[in-house]
Amino acid sequence: MILFSERRAQALIGWGVALMLAAVTLGLRNAAADEITFTIVGPAKVSRIAVSQLKNLGGDDDGTVSGQFIHTLKRDLQLSGFFKIIDPHSYIEKAQDSGFTLGQFNFADWSSLGAEFLVKGSVTANEQQISIQAFLFDVAAQRQMAGKQYTGSNEDVSRMANRFADTILQQVTGTKGPFDSRIAMVSARGGRFKQIYTMDVDGGNLYKVTNNDTINLFPSFDRRVHRVLYTSYKSGAPGLYVYELDTRREIRIPSPGGSLIGGTMMPGGDSVVAAVEAGGATNLYLLGLDGTVLRQLTHGASINVSPAVSPDGSQLAFTSDRGGSPQVYVMSISGGAARRLTYKGNYNTNPAFSPDGTQIAYQSRSGGAFEIYRIPAGGGSPLLVTQGQHPAWSPDGRYIAFSIGRGSGLGLYLIQGQGGTVVGNLTTQEDGNATDPAWSSWLGE
Amino acid sequence: MRQIRPGLHGWANEMNAWSLGRWVAVMALATALAACSSSKPAAQNPQAGTGPGGMNEGNLGSGGGSSLSQFQHGTLGAPGSGGPLTDIHFDFDDYTIRPQDGEILRNNARWLTDHGNTRVQVEGHTDERGSEEYNLALGAKRAQAAKDYLTTLGVSSDRISTISYGKELPLCTEHDEDCWAQNRRDHFVVQGAQ
Repeated sequence: MILFSERRAQALIGWGVALMLAAVTLGLRNAAADEITFTIVGPAKVSRIAVSQLKNLGGDDDGTVSGQFIHTLKRDLQLSGFFKIIDPHSYIEKAQDSGFTLGQFNFADWSSLGAEFLVKGSVTANEQQISIQAFLFDVAAQRQMAGKQYTGSNEDVSRMANRFADTILQQVTGTKGPFDSRIAMVSARGGRFKQIYTMDVDGGNLYKVTNNDTINLFPSFDRRVHRVLYTSYKSGAPGLYVYELDTRREIRIPSPGGSLIGGTMMPGGDSVVAAVEAGGATNLYLLGLDGTVLRQLTHGASINVSPAVSPDGSQLAFTSDRGGSPQVYVMSISGGAARRLTYKGNYNTNPAFSPDGTQIAYQSRSGGAFEIYRIPAGGGSPLLVTQGQHPAWSPDGRYIAFSIGRGSGLGLYLIQGQGGTVVGNLTTQEDGNATDPAWSSWLGE
Repeated sequence: MRQIRPGLHGWANEMNAWSLGRWVAVMALATALAACSSSKPAAQNPQAGTGPGGMNEGNLGSGGGSSLSQFQHGTLGAPGSGGPLTDIHFDFDDYTIRPQDGEILRNNARWLTDHGNTRVQVEGHTDERGSEEYNLALGAKRAQAAKDYLTTLGVSSDRISTISYGKELPLCTEHDEDCWAQNRRDHFVVQGAQ
């Protein structure tokens, strides 16, 4: 069994590893008083941050653990769009020769580099366990903003970094970052067949969910990130499969009649909204994982596909051609009439709810290409987000991941008020093509 | 302390499991291929459907099976992979049978009537424009439109199944209208005796 824990640094007393860290405990406790103070930075502001290597307190002589932690943390901070990382070659002090807690190093060595924020920390590693302490400092105020203690195995190091990146964003912007989460996608990297993968937001810890020589499409997560739903032709005909990440077991959802050509997981993970094709008509059904029809959601001979469910499980958005062209509609998951949401453009599809349920992103065909828009879920004017397809919101609601071009990679868009910007690539052409991202909830405490 | 999901890590130590899974998949495919070739011997015969004996039962499987099977074998769109029935084509985001394709469907229906012990699967395909899931539904509409047409021409609906591959199995991969027009198609796969 793999165990991983994170604690606020001041809470580490009583934790086994605390004994060897007793020397720094006093500093950590002092830090606690500062933790409730945020520095709110305007969304357009990019802060200069220095990220020092972790000081090796034992067991990481070759710097492997420190390197992995810092590499992931820097990648997250760069992807966030809120930071410019100061070149490590310019750092005056060496991590191994200086302290990492308040009072044990010289802020002047960092303010002279123009650093507004500073990350320092330590690592202790042995065969059983890795322990990392990480601190965020406000350089101008010479103040500690956050201190975290992480313990776990080798395989948890990048997740520790993802969690600390989320903490840094919380402290600097007032909103927790999205990096302690997973992204599922469709990719044919290394072959001709589209497979389902999951990965960290920074592209790390790539995990192959499917491994077959057919077509696999449309991944989605449940809220707890225990299950992935996807569509596959591995039986020869399209079907819906639920893959359980904990056990790597999989079930095929039996069809209640017709072909299951797509779907999305309900947040609770115990039911799905499925697109069921029968006699040329495709309608949406709420299905149990055993194929039981819990509710037929749409009716008639038209196309009804691309279901998206609001995070609270109450609203359904989908694409229908019932009005003559593909448009996005919204209805209650408990049934009733659907309300047309999109009017601009004649090909609007792939809706996705923001985590707070107030906005829907979707793709709209314009000329030969697709653009991503967002629109209030209750109706209103669409705002252009970016060129691209397959919008997927981050769990903090601040970013939209999307497919670039014809499956060349995944981009990341940062929403800033009424505007925003593309801040980075989650995958690139070199990673092989990638499309249709699904962004999970936070992985939890 | 909490348990972490295995899906988050452990790529290296899963190699054995994946290798096993891959091996099982390969064996399953090999078994399926063996079954396929034993029931349709002509599929292995490069002369199938071209000689004077082309109307014998052994040639009914010519065409190499479904588009998915052809894609798996790298033969999708290869010459001679079409089978005895002719594809029909569609306008963009449309599933109505075009007048010029009615004659093709009548010929296909005639062939099916002459070979009353066969079944046919109609595959609906789309071009690459549009979203994947909408195109799957559109392909299903196209397949159903041909099925309905063949049924009105007297082919029993019991003999006709449908499947949609949406935009997933293009015959042509250029990004232009010539290519898109080829890809917006119904393909007819004869499946041998009922």
